Amino acid sequence: MPDVQALVNDFLNKLKKRKIEGSQATAKQTAELLRSVISQQRVPYTNQAGALIDSVRAIGEQLIAANPIELAVGNIVRRVLHIIREEDLSLTTAAVTELNLSTISDDDDDDGGGNQDDHPVLSAAAVAAAARSSLRPPSLQMLLEGAPEFVAVPRSSSSGGDSEGKSKSMDRNSRTRKLKHDVIEAVNELIQDITTCHELIAEQAVEHIHQNEVILTLGSSKTVLEFLCAAKEKKRSFRVFVAEGAPRYQGHLLAKELAARGLQTTVITDSAVFAMISRVNMVIVGSHAVMANGGVIAPVGMNMVALAAQKHAVPFVVLAGIHKLCPLYPHNPEVLLNELRSPSELLDFGEFSDCLDFGSGDGSPLLHVVNPTFDYVPPKVVSLFITDTGGHNPSYMYRLIADYYSADDLVVQRRHSAVN
Amino acid sequence: MKEQTTRAMWWRSPSFILDNRQQAQPYDTARGGALSIPPPPSTAMADPNPNPNPLTDKISAYYQTRAAHHGVVSSDWLAQAQAAVGHIPDVDDDAANSDQGAPPGEPFSVIDEFNNWRKQPDLAEAVAAIRALAAVIRNSQATTMMELEIELKKASDSLKSWDTTSISLTAGCDLFMRYVTRTSALEYEDFNSAKTRLIERAEKFGEISYKARKIIAMLSQDFIFDGCTILVHGFSRVVLEVLKMAAQNKKLFRVFCTEGRPDRTGLRLSNELAKLDVPVKLLIDSAVAYSMDEVDMVFVGADGVVESGGIINMMGTYQIALVAHSMNKPVYVAAESYKFARLYPLDQKDMGPALRPIEFGVPIPLKVEVETSARDYTPPQYLTLLFTDLGVLTPSVVSDELIQLYL
Repeated sequence: MPDVQALVNDFLNKLKKRKIEGSQATAKQTAELLRSVISQQRVPYTNQAGALIDSVRAIGEQLIAANPIELAVGNIVRRVLHIIREEDLSLTTAAVTELNLSTISDDDDDDGGGNQDDHPVLSAAAVAAAARSSLRPPSLQMLLEGAPEFVAVPRSSSSGGDSEGKSKSMDRNSRTRKLKHDVIEAVNELIQDITTCHELIAEQAVEHIHQNEVILTLGSSKTVLEFLCAAKEKKRSFRVFVAEGAPRYQGHLLAKELAARGLQTTVITDSAVFAMISRVNMVIVGSHAVMANGGVIAPVGMNMVALAAQKHAVPFVVLAGIHKLCPLYPHNPEVLLNELRSPSELLDFGEFSDCLDFGSGDGSPLLHVVNPTFDYVPPKVVSLFITDTGGHNPSYMYRLIADYYSADDLVVQRRHSAVN
Repeated sequence: MKEQTTRAMWWRSPSFILDNRQQAQPYDTARGGALSIPPPPSTAMADPNPNPNPLTDKISAYYQTRAAHHGVVSSDWLAQAQAAVGHIPDVDDDAANSDQGAPPGEPFSVIDEFNNWRKQPDLAEAVAAIRALAAVIRNSQATTMMELEIELKKASDSLKSWDTTSISLTAGCDLFMRYVTRTSALEYEDFNSAKTRLIERAEKFGEISYKARKIIAMLSQDFIFDGCTILVHGFSRVVLEVLKMAAQNKKLFRVFCTEGRPDRTGLRLSNELAKLDVPVKLLIDSAVAYSMDEVDMVFVGADGVVESGGIINMMGTYQIALVAHSMNKPVYVAAESYKFARLYPLDQKDMGPALRPIEFGVPIPLKVEVETSARDYTPPQYLTLLFTDLGVLTPSVVSDELIQLYL
């Protein structure tokens, strides 16, 4: 346990000091940290999933608090929680089915099914149905079918432990290890997915980029780089305009990289976007996070590009790996928080120190510098999202999110004010 | 429905004059009736059967009830409502007793049952419909599932045709029928236990509806921030619940209530909010655009949520949504998921009209036509988000949910 705590503290420090750049790196490291948390966690015989969920949640809470702007952390925590629930349910279902097949025991204590008064043979089907439905988001279908019993998933996951406790014939130790093993396996898969999401997105490049087109992008994104290069490798010839992305000028790096890979590249200033947009066939950009309503949190300046694209009816395409899908809505104040970076990126302190002097006048400087990191791009200006599962409309993002996260995990921090 | 639609189409063309001449007779009676005897809410409440037959004079029973429940507050109205609420258990028992021992001479009527339930101001229309259908099951002499289904289908059809203007009624009936006909949980059971299960579920539905309101209120808390101004149109129990919870959570916000003619439901809502010490300001319906720049968000309820993701709500919602959209203000809809209806209106006149008498205070000359429709349709592009018990949804999710359920 102590070495996990050290790892967590180390990661927390890095997050707080903003040492980790980019949501992919953050997501990957978060997943790896949570994996080691899970593997170190001692699980009790009953309610193992509950114990895992609690420990992951506790650490997730700290991680999210350390850098609330980096939504990828929260996304991964929620994904891992979802994975634990999923694995637990599949195990429980398998176990109960087995139980019913081998010995027709009275499993009226198995409250996972919700209909205890049934014949035992039926309740296996019921449990299976319940397992399927409790992970799905609430739907109209379940309104009358007695969904309320399954709202508290930690309880229903404890039912897995209960039924297990009753089944003396089962080899407990192997089961205990099995859940943990399965979860770790799934988390490994998740890490794998995060690592390879560039490639999956890039594979679709040829469908979107056509011969002799002009593509505009802003700032630097590894996903965009891979995407453009994938199209190039498929012998498409096209030009790329790179807006430099002040104040960090990451566009310069992207332009250099693109040119090195043999793409025709033009660097423009951010303020020239509107002037150039009429020549552009498609805008392809990366993102920081994608919200549940299809809105995008992206590097500063993106909203301007999106509006320019809309004005000229140029498709505005956003590339996003799965770790960027965030189940929150941007109206949440905690999400609306923007990160303000150091003014030194804008102004040279030596030159402007006179204006920034706190000693002059009434004690506050006349010159202020505000350097926000992110823009919120509303969903109506986004034409298409390309994720590793394909292209999606902004209004469809909720669907992907519903597949990846369970409704109970949406609020990680304020657990007690969560939906009952 | 078809007839109404074709008539609606006629109205577009100059031939509406001809059309009107043919329609003149029922029209005049409807309006004349409204003028000569403007029904004060209190009499409507006191009336044992307050629902004028919608088939003869085309007055929407649904909106009549709404007006009675949520219209302007007068002291005697409050007394009536209090009496009604206090009376619920008795009504309940009476209904139950009469159901169980249905005398053979007196045929059970699903419509009467429905009317009994809907008189309670706190009970949603869909809940009343489902309760009424449960009573059908209880009274049924059927011995097989198929018979029961046919009987239920008949009852639900008669309920639906009794008041075609009530979307919640239709949606509630559809939802319950869907549950009866397609639920896998019933497959292996014997008939009697299936029957009890159905009744039990139906009776729980009231609870579900109540819980739904709580969930919606909780979901929407994140969206109400300190110092915001909320514009509310019409009286909606869900919206009231949302604002109530926000007030309980010590949020600082103020509310603009539209007056909500002709029922003046806004007066009722502002009264309720004032009781909660929420700063509230009443606007006349035409002052919405004037005050929109002060507003941070618009909150409305819905009578029905249609497949396109748009909503059908009290008259005036559409124009408020249009104004809000043009001024870039979010429009939030709070609606329980059982209000999702399988309708796809293409424009305002696409639904059968739901008419309501409108009182102008002065006599209107007979030659002057009065627009008496009680509701309008707000297309999805003017709505920002829907708060439902299924979660916070974008309008496009609604059709998804409906397709999942009914396909």
